[in-house]
Amino acid sequence: MLILAFDTATETATSALVDGAEVLAERVSRAVTLMEDVDALLRQAGARSRDVEALAVGVGPGSFTGVRIGLATARALAFALDVPAAGVSTLAALAAGAPGALPVVDARRREVFVLENGEPRACAPVDVRVSGGMMCVGNGAVRYRSVLEAAGAEVPPDADERHLPRARFHALLAHDFGSAEAVEPLYLRLPDADRTAAG
Amino acid sequence: MILGVETSCDETAAALITPEGEVLANVVSSQADLHARYGGVVPEVASRRHLELVLPVIRDALDSASATLDDVELVGVTTGPGLIGALLVGLAAAKAIAWSRRIPLAAVDHLRGHVASLFLEPDAVEPPFLCLLASGGHTLLLDVRDRGGRPRVLGSTLDDAAGEAFDKGARLLGLGYPGGAAIDRIAREGDPSAYDFPVARVPGFDFSFSGVKTALLYTVRGLAPDELERRRADLAASYQRAIVRALVERTQAAAAEIGTERIAVVGGVAANTELRATLPGAALAPLPLCTDNAAMIASAARFADPISYPGYLGLDAYASLA
Ligand SMILES: [Zn+2]
Repeated sequence: MLILAFDTATETATSALVDGAEVLAERVSRAVTLMEDVDALLRQAGARSRDVEALAVGVGPGSFTGVRIGLATARALAFALDVPAAGVSTLAALAAGAPGALPVVDARRREVFVLENGEPRACAPVDVRVSGGMMCVGNGAVRYRSVLEAAGAEVPPDADERHLPRARFHALLAHDFGSAEAVEPLYLRLPDADRTAAG
Repeated sequence: MILGVETSCDETAAALITPEGEVLANVVSSQADLHARYGGVVPEVASRRHLELVLPVIRDALDSASATLDDVELVGVTTGPGLIGALLVGLAAAKAIAWSRRIPLAAVDHLRGHVASLFLEPDAVEPPFLCLLASGGHTLLLDVRDRGGRPRVLGSTLDDAAGEAFDKGARLLGLGYPGGAAIDRIAREGDPSAYDFPVARVPGFDFSFSGVKTALLYTVRGLAPDELERRRADLAASYQRAIVRALVERTQAAAAEIGTERIAVVGGVAANTELRATLPGAALAPLPLCTDNAAMIASAARFADPISYPGYLGLDAYASLA
């Protein structure tokens, strides 16, 4: 099955065209140029848009605007190409790219999103539970390197590709393909106005 | 046909028009109820809602026009000005749809979209004319010479937009959101000459509404609760008269300056009863085309330079006036 996968939840957008176990093409850029990547992936693989059979899209957590660009794109593509889609957690894709490591995504407002016991949550960098020698990956790990290293974690060099939620892993992890409009964003946080209203 | 998509503020909208400018479908899903409890538009709340609604409104527009994407020859989408996160939702969807069919895309300026609401059939207004664009986000006087060109800006607001002034006034009077409709309704029972609210005189053709808002604030503060209750309609009528008078005076002066008697009014404030009555000769778009909608975006796309595939794939949105 030819799967088009992408994740725009972090500032480095990733995308891939995957056929079964074979990665045909991969790209890295930004959320606003996602469609340029999609177009380039297909041309690189000699495929047409009609050949895409399913979509795998990163649902976050991460940048709210980034997540929405990915999901709006996926929903429109699924509608226009009449293909099913599946959502994949950005944290799960990071974890799949760095087995044994703890995925840490920058949540802004001095917080990070982490996957703990399989559950995503937001917390302050100092509250990330790291045991000695544990590896942390993701843009949150890069940004809060000093805090995490002080707590005993190991963070690969900034340019290490394990910090990217690479879309080949979204294609690998995607299951239960269905309506793209049923694929929901993973915000993990209320809009600020609601947080204030809730006291 | 042309598909229009609009998500710049708090309306999620999609529309289909013919290449001749006839409206086949005009679907608008307003978020006003959602934002009412905050008393204004919250960008993050709006953007989340746009994502939920953008595909449903596009499908709705196609269904009500008995069309499919195969009938669409051009996609017009608002790229600014507006809430950046909100704009990016509509733009992402529009790009994906245009790409999937390899059809061209037109990047539409929201303000030129408002003007283009006047170019829709069956009552298209032929330029040249002086256009007052008054909405919750903008108050502009535009010299419109042709359908495709960028209109010259003769005047704009130095502080609040006219619609914003209505919203803030409504809040001071304890009325609902959106404020324009609430004030318009209650003002019908009031005396517009009961209070003399000053309208700031600023040079040229610019507007300023902060003074009239402050005048209302002090008047309201000086009233006991029961008195405020009794005078609410008078206050609303007087406040509305002050804003409308400012809009009309400047509009007529600007029209005289460019030597035209032809005046058109677009934007949400064009729905105001008093404004319509005070400018009887003005061209007004039908009410559903005055407030934010996508038919006007498709109409502007008709006269824009379309970007052909793949030129639009990396297109970005912009928040403020270029
Ligand atoms: Zn508008």
